[in-house]
Amino acid sequence: MRICCGLTNHLELARRPDLYGNPVVVGHWEEHVVALSEEAMPFGVMPGMALRQAEHLCPQATFLPPDPEAAAHLRELISSALYDLAPTVEVRVEGIAWLDVSGVPKPGESIREARRRLKTAIGREPRLGLAPGPFSARLAAARARPGRLVQVDKASAFLAPLSPHELPLDAEQLERLDLLGLRTLGALAAMGPRELESQLGRAGRHAVLLARGLEPDELTPWRPPLFTSAHRQFESSIEDREALLFVARALCGDLAEELGLRGAGAKSIRVRLFFEDGSQERRDSVVRHPLSSAAELFGLIGSWIKEWQPHAPITEMWIELPVLESAGRRQLRLWAGGDGNGEEVAAALERLQERHGDEVVYMPRPHLLSSPLPSQRFA
Amino acid sequence: MQEELNVAINSIRVRFGSQALTRAAELPPPQPWPSRTPIDRLTGIGGLPRGRLTLLTGSGTCGKSTLALLLLAGATREFAHAMVIDTNSGFDPWTLLPFYPELSALTVVRAPAPEIAGEAMAALAKAGAGFILLIGEVPEHWLGPLESGANRSGTVMVGVIDAPGRAFAHASSLSVGLSRTDWIWERGQLVGLRTSARCVKNRVAPPLGETELEIRYPLGAKSLFDHQVHVTEVPSLHVELECASAVV
Repeated sequence: MRICCGLTNHLELARRPDLYGNPVVVGHWEEHVVALSEEAMPFGVMPGMALRQAEHLCPQATFLPPDPEAAAHLRELISSALYDLAPTVEVRVEGIAWLDVSGVPKPGESIREARRRLKTAIGREPRLGLAPGPFSARLAAARARPGRLVQVDKASAFLAPLSPHELPLDAEQLERLDLLGLRTLGALAAMGPRELESQLGRAGRHAVLLARGLEPDELTPWRPPLFTSAHRQFESSIEDREALLFVARALCGDLAEELGLRGAGAKSIRVRLFFEDGSQERRDSVVRHPLSSAAELFGLIGSWIKEWQPHAPITEMWIELPVLESAGRRQLRLWAGGDGNGEEVAAALERLQERHGDEVVYMPRPHLLSSPLPSQRFA
Repeated sequence: MQEELNVAINSIRVRFGSQALTRAAELPPPQPWPSRTPIDRLTGIGGLPRGRLTLLTGSGTCGKSTLALLLLAGATREFAHAMVIDTNSGFDPWTLLPFYPELSALTVVRAPAPEIAGEAMAALAKAGAGFILLIGEVPEHWLGPLESGANRSGTVMVGVIDAPGRAFAHASSLSVGLSRTDWIWERGQLVGLRTSARCVKNRVAPPLGETELEIRYPLGAKSLFDHQVHVTEVPSLHVELECASAVV
């Protein structure tokens, strides 16, 4: 397993790129600090401390209330932007993006592209780490300079000199480790999981596995949402087919842009027209191959509209994509050497065989290669 | 006049989208597929252009089929789908073996008529097959769908033909003319040929380029599929870097 980790700001901070370079603290008043910028750290502000205390330590900082919805939306956008670079992608609002590049033929290109996209999304160069697992990759990234990659080949050797404070343990558990004299991950790794489990419970066992570089945690792969739609309400009812086609083209463009961001394709399409008298008509279809570009979507929807006979002026138009293909075609390109979709090529060959006979398409497979008879050499 | 033209261009873009009309200067450069053959140097972009048609032309026994087989074998190793559109049912996969192909990626379409060849090539280019080798020619009315399909998918298309028709030659973006300059004899036995490869048309880079190739036939005690054909570039004695045709 090879995991690439990109470390950026907390996504709460990425909402306000205009404040980059200044100390910023995010948190609700009367509650705890959710996120803080690197510039606020030298003042002693830490995530989790009371906001009042943070204000006391760093009064010149800009204090912002958290907006979890905006951060989650940004997380979705980043996940979808990275989705076509690796089979498994996980992004956390803490500003951590993991890509599992195992099996990807050109991992270097995926990592370079991930760096570029993260920089575009966040506005700052990410720190990058490449290691056998998510934990060691995150620690490697934390030690990289912005825009640079730290590569770790053997996780246990890399982790050995690091402090146990890197482990996901609370203050009490860390103090206990200190009392036990376990002040490096190497010392922790030398202990048996059961021994530390008897001291710290399940967290102890987990900590030993992490310290040994065994990476017990797996990534939670992001999957694109399964439904999207776009609609337009007309100021005055329209009867002109050309105008309807124009609107449909614009809606298809919007949907294609969204599909592109999510790395998805539409497997099913539904168009609904609402009329002046309150009634509606709909048309839907399931397509064999997922449609993702504006031209593909409009090719189908435009043909429907051209033959549609609405019985009254139209007040509203909806284009819905109820079923989106999740992993599908874009990710297949990860392994095909710059080729198109295998399914589409197979379907084109099938159509040729249907029209002109099976013998038109021939896939030579070695049979008796040394035979003097040409007909026997290939099956 | 210029203003009116700009207004017309803008209105087309507003009406039909920004991609409906593109200035030639704004077109992205064609991405090459590095075939790792001497042809790469002749194209001027370091490989065969994706989404465009490349022609290998020349009279019989000039080495164009050997060169095409070399390209096809390379494509089978690098693409998931390498196609041969055979218009005269003369392609034998056995002749490909000396080039060490990956046969699982190879599909042959045996088109009994040029019309079927055109249909197959347009459909496969549109579907996004990685590489298509066309042996022969397709009818003129299939060239439009072929170009647009390949342009969208980035398929590498190579045509092998003695002398292309006007429409077929016009549809190609790159044309390499081959002519045999000499046979190679060793110990009284014919072992290969020396051929001159000249870029006669190039829409992706300046059409300046000529080289000499030496093609060694698979001869000797080894069986055919244990013997690798060598196509090597040799120093040319009389290289004339002249623009043979500048169709841009």
